[in-house]
Amino acid sequence: MQSLSATSAAGVLLDLSGVLILLLAFACLGSKLFNRYVAYYGAQSVVLSFAAGVAAYAFHSIELWVLAAATLVIKGIGIPLAARRLLVQRLELKRDAALSTGLSTSLIAGGALTAFAYLVTRPQLLPHGLVAAAVVPLSTAVILLGGLAMVVRRHTVAQLIGWLIVENGVFLGAITLVATFPFIVEAGIFLDLVAGAAIMLVFVSGLTRRLASASASELRELQG
Amino acid sequence: MILLMIVAAAGPLAGTATAACGARGRAAGWTGAAGALVSLGSAVWLLAADLHRTPVVAWGGYLYLDSLSCFFLLTVAAVTLLASVGSVAYLSAEEDAERLTSFQVRLYYVFFGLFAALMLAALETGNLGLLFVLIEASTLASAALVGLEARASSLEAAWKYVIISSLGVTIALAGTLFLYYSATGLHLAAESRLAWPYLFSHAHALAPQSLRLAFLLAVVGYGTKVGLAPMHTWLPDAHAEAPSPASAMLSAALLNTGMYAIIRFLAITHARLGDGFPRAVLLTFGFLSIVIGVLFMIRRGTAGGPGGRPPGVNVKRLFAYSSVEHMGIIAVALGFGGLLGLYGALLQTLNHAIAKAVLFLTSGDVSLRYHTREAAGVRGLLAAVPVTGGALLLGSFAVLGSPPFGVFLSELTIVRAGFAGSSPVFPLLLLALLAVAFVAFARTTTAMVTGRPSVPPPSGRPDESEFAAHLTAPDPLSSPSSEPDALAPPYRGRVAGLAAIVPLGVGLVALLVLGLWIPAGLDTLIRHCVAVMS
Repeated sequence: MQSLSATSAAGVLLDLSGVLILLLAFACLGSKLFNRYVAYYGAQSVVLSFAAGVAAYAFHSIELWVLAAATLVIKGIGIPLAARRLLVQRLELKRDAALSTGLSTSLIAGGALTAFAYLVTRPQLLPHGLVAAAVVPLSTAVILLGGLAMVVRRHTVAQLIGWLIVENGVFLGAITLVATFPFIVEAGIFLDLVAGAAIMLVFVSGLTRRLASASASELRELQG
Repeated sequence: MILLMIVAAAGPLAGTATAACGARGRAAGWTGAAGALVSLGSAVWLLAADLHRTPVVAWGGYLYLDSLSCFFLLTVAAVTLLASVGSVAYLSAEEDAERLTSFQVRLYYVFFGLFAALMLAALETGNLGLLFVLIEASTLASAALVGLEARASSLEAAWKYVIISSLGVTIALAGTLFLYYSATGLHLAAESRLAWPYLFSHAHALAPQSLRLAFLLAVVGYGTKVGLAPMHTWLPDAHAEAPSPASAMLSAALLNTGMYAIIRFLAITHARLGDGFPRAVLLTFGFLSIVIGVLFMIRRGTAGGPGGRPPGVNVKRLFAYSSVEHMGIIAVALGFGGLLGLYGALLQTLNHAIAKAVLFLTSGDVSLRYHTREAAGVRGLLAAVPVTGGALLLGSFAVLGSPPFGVFLSELTIVRAGFAGSSPVFPLLLLALLAVAFVAFARTTTAMVTGRPSVPPPSGRPDESEFAAHLTAPDPLSSPSSEPDALAPPYRGRVAGLAAIVPLGVGLVALLVLGLWIPAGLDTLIRHCVAVMS
């Protein structure tokens, strides 16, 4: 099985990137400004592309290099730029007022979810000594934090960012757990992500043109 | 054989291509219907070719076809054909009434064909990663259909649909990841580690812990697409807001594609972990869905009174909750397992798909004539429009499982499978819930069908007028819709009228046939599917 040990240089770097990605997810959860959401997501994607580059170097995999480059260009630069231009600036979004809980509550919940992620994934699933054993709980925690962000935020733009963070978490797990995912599948996942983000951008701007604000809590016409 | 598979998946793309090249809506519609017919033809042909002993594997497992995929291929292709023909009638009527622009109609056909083709392709791949990619792509294609009418409420429904389904399917991707990881001990080539046939035949060597997690994540993730409670919340909105033929596709094709993915995971998990774990998971989600579906059908079945009551029954929402209920029944049947349970689940899938396609197409016809989706505004349908009224009545009895229709037979099989199992509590509970569902559903639809014909409000639709300000499409209220007899057929020309009626008739006849007699070929096919699964 091609897997990196936790003590190799690449393993240490991957571990470090995982921790940074988790911290950036927390930063996003603890912020109230739309600009920051987008910035933290962009930074997270850049770290992720670095992690993909490390994995590509360690496995000598050309496909992973391509994926790392695509992550950097599209997720690290393209999506944040588009979100800032098309949503934050055009809609003049500044402070997110549509939170269902206070920031501290959601941060505490985030901490609990991180602990939960370690509890669930670490002991049973993965053999010790592999870097995956350290990174998979981190990626699970990022997935849960993204989900939490989608739950506590009611604004559609914030929910979009939450979904993108979930995707980053899955991606982080994918490169460390199964670096040898078939390329067609990886590319397809990436395309889906990009198309999904594009469609959501369209919907958000369409919705905001129709409703005064795109807060999902005002989307109350359709119930149950 | 491979060529035939490609043709089967690519058939509906004919409509997409025609519409994208700028053909008129009606032409694109008919091309799409022809393409769907080709798809169904190739599916039947594939069936007739003897697949049962040797599944087709090509391109390193990316292309894969066995009895199970063939069965679902048949179901989805049949629904696509019914919905394509229905689309021609519905969309051209909407265009004639200037409720949709010709650009919107073309957009509809582009995405309709894409949606159908992606689902058919998802059924033909043996690679679980590619399965994820195709299912997610079909979500995105269908989101455009849900938001097509560009009202505030339909955009809202489309947003809810995209965000919830994408999140759900991402969870399924995490499940796929853990399944891949559980196969690390197998020393298979990287390509084969996601290939279902290899995983299934080496199931005994998979790591049980991560397989358990993988199955749970897959049920939650793909369950979001299936509409299993509590992940079903996008479903009623999307079904209610999409144009009716697209709702038929969502309910009768998309949900089944999701269930197909769950069945693939179930087969592997069952082979490794045995009965207990998958059964517990499926029975939990299944019964929860049935209960939620039935509860909302009761609530929606309450006719809208004055005061603070809910505004009334949106027929399509009622049908959507019935879909939740039926998907729950299928999950329960898969949980019961055994020959009877799996047989019942597949038969139920086919029957429900046809019945729901008929019902949604009927609802499209009703809303074209009455300009409302509220059941309270529709009375005496049988007297006013006998064909539609009859189809609605028969269709709702068929979907509720009264004899002699096919659903009765499949639900009976499922209940028998339950009694064959350990505890009689579950099948008894199922029976009770089915009875409640019958009453809740039928009292709305029978009220619509019987009674004195109501005159549809000439044009001032109370439920629409608030949207008028939001409409970008030419507003139906401002257009001269001064038809004195609004119940006159909304279709221009006999061909369109026939296109509205023929799918209803064909679907009902198919349901009747399936209730009275299961063709030998279908029986063999389902038995082979069960053999594939266990």
